[in-house]
Amino acid sequence: MSVETLTICGIVILLAPLAGAVLSGVLGPRLLRGSTHWLAIGGVGLAFITSLVLMGQVRGAPPDGISETVSVYNWITNGTDAVFRVEFLIDPLTAVMLITVTGVSLLVVMYSRDYMREHGKPERGYERFFAFLALFVFSMCALVLGGNFLLLYLGWEAVGLCSYLLIGFYYDRPAAAAAAKKAFLVNRVGDFGFGLGILLIFLTFGTIEYGAVFHMVQEGVTGSGDPLATGRVTTIALLLLCGACGKSAQLPLHVWLPDAMEGPSPVSALIHAATMVTAGIYMIARCGAIFTASPFAMTVVAVIGAVTALFAATIAITQTDMKRILAYSTVSQLGYMVLGVGVYAADSAIFHLFTHASFKALLFLAAGSVMHAMGGIIDVRQFGGLRKVLPWTFATFLAGSLALAGFPLFSGFFSKDEIIHHALMVHPILGVVGLVTALLTAFYTFRMVFLAFFGRQRVPEGVHPHESGPWMLVPLVVLSIGAIGAGYVGIGADGGVFHRFLTPVFAHTFAAHSPASAGAHGVPVVEHVGFWAHYGLMIISGAIAFVGIFAAYVLYLKEDWLPGLIRSIAPRAHRILWNKYYVDELYDAGLVEPARQTGRVCVGLDDYLIDGLLWLITAIPRAVGYLARTYQSGMLQGYALTMVVGIAIIVLLVFGA
Amino acid sequence: MDSWILTLVIFWPLAGALLLLIPRRGDDVAVRNGALFVSVFGFVLTVAAVVQFNRETAGGVSADGFALAAHVPWIVSGDQESATVDIAYRVGVDAISIWLLALTALLSPLAVWSSFTAIRTRVREYYILLLLLQVGLLGVFCARDLLLFYVFFEFTLIPLFFLIGIWGGSERRRAANKFFIYTLAGSVLTFAGIIYVACFAYGATGGTLTLNLATLTELGQGGDIPANVQWWLFLAFAAGFAIKVPLFPFHTWLPLAHTEAPTAGSVILAGVLLKLGTYGFCRLSIPILPDASFELAPVVAVVAIIGIIYTALAAWVQKDVKKLVAYSSVSHLGFCMLGLFSLKVAGVSGGVLYMVNHGLSTGALFLVIGCIYERYHTRNIDEFGGLARKMPWLAFFLVFFTLSSIGLPGLNGFVGEFLVLLGAATSAGTRDGLAPGPLGYGYVIPAALGIILSAVYMLWMCQRVLFGPLKEPPDTPDTSTGLTQDLTRREITILAPIALCCVVLGVYPAPVLNQFEVAIRQNILRSPASMMHTEIGPPDQGFFDVGVESSVSKQTLSTEFDAVVATGPGSRPALNDDPPSVSTVTTARLDGRNTPFETDASMATDSSATDVIGFNGGSGYER
Repeated sequence: MSVETLTICGIVILLAPLAGAVLSGVLGPRLLRGSTHWLAIGGVGLAFITSLVLMGQVRGAPPDGISETVSVYNWITNGTDAVFRVEFLIDPLTAVMLITVTGVSLLVVMYSRDYMREHGKPERGYERFFAFLALFVFSMCALVLGGNFLLLYLGWEAVGLCSYLLIGFYYDRPAAAAAAKKAFLVNRVGDFGFGLGILLIFLTFGTIEYGAVFHMVQEGVTGSGDPLATGRVTTIALLLLCGACGKSAQLPLHVWLPDAMEGPSPVSALIHAATMVTAGIYMIARCGAIFTASPFAMTVVAVIGAVTALFAATIAITQTDMKRILAYSTVSQLGYMVLGVGVYAADSAIFHLFTHASFKALLFLAAGSVMHAMGGIIDVRQFGGLRKVLPWTFATFLAGSLALAGFPLFSGFFSKDEIIHHALMVHPILGVVGLVTALLTAFYTFRMVFLAFFGRQRVPEGVHPHESGPWMLVPLVVLSIGAIGAGYVGIGADGGVFHRFLTPVFAHTFAAHSPASAGAHGVPVVEHVGFWAHYGLMIISGAIAFVGIFAAYVLYLKEDWLPGLIRSIAPRAHRILWNKYYVDELYDAGLVEPARQTGRVCVGLDDYLIDGLLWLITAIPRAVGYLARTYQSGMLQGYALTMVVGIAIIVLLVFGA
Repeated sequence: MDSWILTLVIFWPLAGALLLLIPRRGDDVAVRNGALFVSVFGFVLTVAAVVQFNRETAGGVSADGFALAAHVPWIVSGDQESATVDIAYRVGVDAISIWLLALTALLSPLAVWSSFTAIRTRVREYYILLLLLQVGLLGVFCARDLLLFYVFFEFTLIPLFFLIGIWGGSERRRAANKFFIYTLAGSVLTFAGIIYVACFAYGATGGTLTLNLATLTELGQGGDIPANVQWWLFLAFAAGFAIKVPLFPFHTWLPLAHTEAPTAGSVILAGVLLKLGTYGFCRLSIPILPDASFELAPVVAVVAIIGIIYTALAAWVQKDVKKLVAYSSVSHLGFCMLGLFSLKVAGVSGGVLYMVNHGLSTGALFLVIGCIYERYHTRNIDEFGGLARKMPWLAFFLVFFTLSSIGLPGLNGFVGEFLVLLGAATSAGTRDGLAPGPLGYGYVIPAALGIILSAVYMLWMCQRVLFGPLKEPPDTPDTSTGLTQDLTRREITILAPIALCCVVLGVYPAPVLNQFEVAIRQNILRSPASMMHTEIGPPDQGFFDVGVESSVSKQTLSTEFDAVVATGPGSRPALNDDPPSVSTVTTARLDGRNTPFETDASMATDSSATDVIGFNGGSGYER
């Protein structure tokens, strides 16, 4: 294993999808058309295989773990010797992220081959779709591979662009165009903070290279050797958190993600569930050194995560659009992950990211399959009892739902439990919030399952439901295996393969600072708690999942008059939830409209105040000329009179004095 | 050794304009093709100049930092050595000029070509004026004599006045008048400043009335221009340049001029002409008036930031697509100014790159809007929509240049924007080996708001124009002039090279930035004066006095400084191992104190030193 190998792997992982994207764009429209997907499959597939190779390279590492920064070329020079390079940081975290990203991407690209067709014919923009998808894989890999903050920012913005392009894929639908713009702009608001954070990092440390920055933070010095103030670290961490809130749809910047469902379902699965939205969690985990240096920032992270998890889960209960329910569930699950990193359990958060990627992608793709069968309709009020009609879709959707609901022994159960476990130890209240959210999650997930797949079979008029073809079903089945089995890589006495693999990355950051581990409280909490720490929580959360599912069963299958009753008892609560707490309206009235009004005022100032002043200035010579003109009337009498008056004045002046 | 390539580059379009007189009356095709040939050949000449520049500067830059120089006496009295008036045709370029030259030469054939279908009346006059405009622009970037600079600077007004006034939109006369009077009023003050500079130089150089930029820069950087004089000169220069940039609140001529100008006029106006203002600040104000620049930088920066946000908000509510882009131009150039006045290598090179980037992306945006206007005869955003469906190529380019304009990483806009913000944020530091600058992190926060806003209005525009259901004004698109529904091959060929430049500058800007850095260190920011001013504050610093009073210690310091320089920039310790702490700061201090002795030994007298400290005018130039 050499540096060259790593560099080449990194370059291949980046260039293969990029080449796929460019070639799809160039060759697709004229030459390939309906077979353009092969370019994307080839590019992403190659990236996936290379990621596996890279994983192997990283695994055969020294005990304290491999963490190589390899430089490719000088990107931007800035007058100091800290040149901004194109460089990769390759360590276990990178490898895990790459596998997740390229793996899910490959399945989604395959799925899209059939999904993006109508009656076997490629949809309009077929090649554009695959070009954007491959471009996304490139951007996400750049984000993950980047070895400094500027490359992180590059990937960060580039995935945002791909998200913009793909949400707006059906651009002639106004809702899609608006949602795309909203996604980009809300992310820009987050990136405002993120960019300022990067500038502050450079200002403080004189470099933006991960290794150097993290080293200095851990040593507690700035770039000039002065001691590093905690306030400065906190500011940096909070600014970075802004970016994470935007990208990972955390409060208060969560508003774009539900709207992003205007994009095609594969896009929702890949970008808005499995990969891009987890970039924020990746970033916080990557910057563990910075975040853990500021307990305050960590608390903020944990609180935002927990509150978002609960907040989004409550909204999901009332929604009826399957994709929107899933979107709010994604926001909620991302909240769990953020909570995870906030309570010093970054490896658990990444573990949840990993399992979530498989089961949430699965759910979206299965929902896409439903949508495909229902002729584009996705509102659970309009169909039901699809269990018989779409058996494969149903089975895979059920697997995903069980994982999402945290049903015992499914993947989501293990990963979510770990996070709640750590939360209970660090911030018990937030742990309880996590448990409540788990109850809601199980409830809304199975509300959706029961409404769509159980009960009396009904489909929208004129729709002839049909099960999807193998291109769509194979990815579903593969992801189901992940949803069921992905949890088992992360359990065991010493944390399982997954945690062992990641240990070196977080050993000096999250693990070392965690109040839950040996450090802060003196006694290791794990031993202190004993049995309950290991199995008690599992029992409790398993029970919670059962309760949630049972409640959904009662309300939506057994006694289906109950929801209406509840709604009529608490109409206001329902209306608030249905309208998503009016956050969009608040932003519109509080930010967007005032800004536009200010813009109008600015135009008015330009046209009247500034130009008016100018008019006044130019009016002076004009006025002088106008006045002077009256004396040039050409009337001799006038001239004579003036002359006489003038002479009289002079005479008076000379002789009168 | 004089080099004639620059002269050829500058005046070739003039010769070409004369060539355009040859075709018969009414032979528009010949005129068009002739103009295209002339401007393409001008581009080829410029490429040759760039190549030669790179070859000449490959082994280090010449003594005064400029290459391809030429010198022809113009207004001279007395012989060469003891001239009392020495105003000359002096041209020369450094990395900053040569890339702006290249930008001009790239945009003008594209502007010419883009007019093929749009301009139907007075074709010959149109192309002649367009070529004459190019002469002025190219001349400004090459001029090494202040009077020559001014002549070219003002000359650009005339062709553009006619271009707007004759081939413009419905309000073309008002726009042309406003443009002309507005900018002329400002530059008259600049001219007053220039005359004063000439008189001042007469005193300072011991009896030569010179406007040689090299001499003036030397005077300015040597601290020979007293502070109060610098202030007035700065304001006088700024009057002309700020209007040209345009800096808020002197921007109100621009939206009107842009909206009314023909497409090619807008392209050149936004792409190059506005850069004359920023270039003026960068080439004249900052190097010649370092102290005033330092002290007024916060003011300029605040005004620039207000402008960034103000015009961004104004852009957002525009109905006229072209006006929207015009306002965005003002907003973007605020960033450019912010970078320049960070007085740091990062900021200035970011600012200069920003000029190039803005020229490319905004120029291209105007071209794209021109394509829409030619087909739909309206620029009102409410009258069309959803064009992406019928015009995929147009959609591609509009989105692409929008992304470039809003600073998407990987494209050119980002690099400039980031460096500008970086320069402003780290302005107070000394990590680039220069004196602390006047700005700081606080300036970046409001400026960064502008980045959000630029995305807001540009994407809003894209959404309205390209997406949603298709909407077209009645009886359009107009394809009577041989246009097709989507972009023609000609239009794609015009836009593609700009897009290519955007990608190249975004992915691998390092070579250009390295060249900028050399030029900036040598020609823009080598001034230590601002440094001394801040470092010293009350003029009682012991170490400084040592440097002046004792020639021995001065010698020692200089030697030390040499040593630092010799080992310094190339091999400073890697940051991750050894954070450059005190040593870097010390380097900078030495740097600051000793550069005057370094650059011009004869000036290292007590008078110049006290002069810098106390700002007691007079003594500096009465030696």
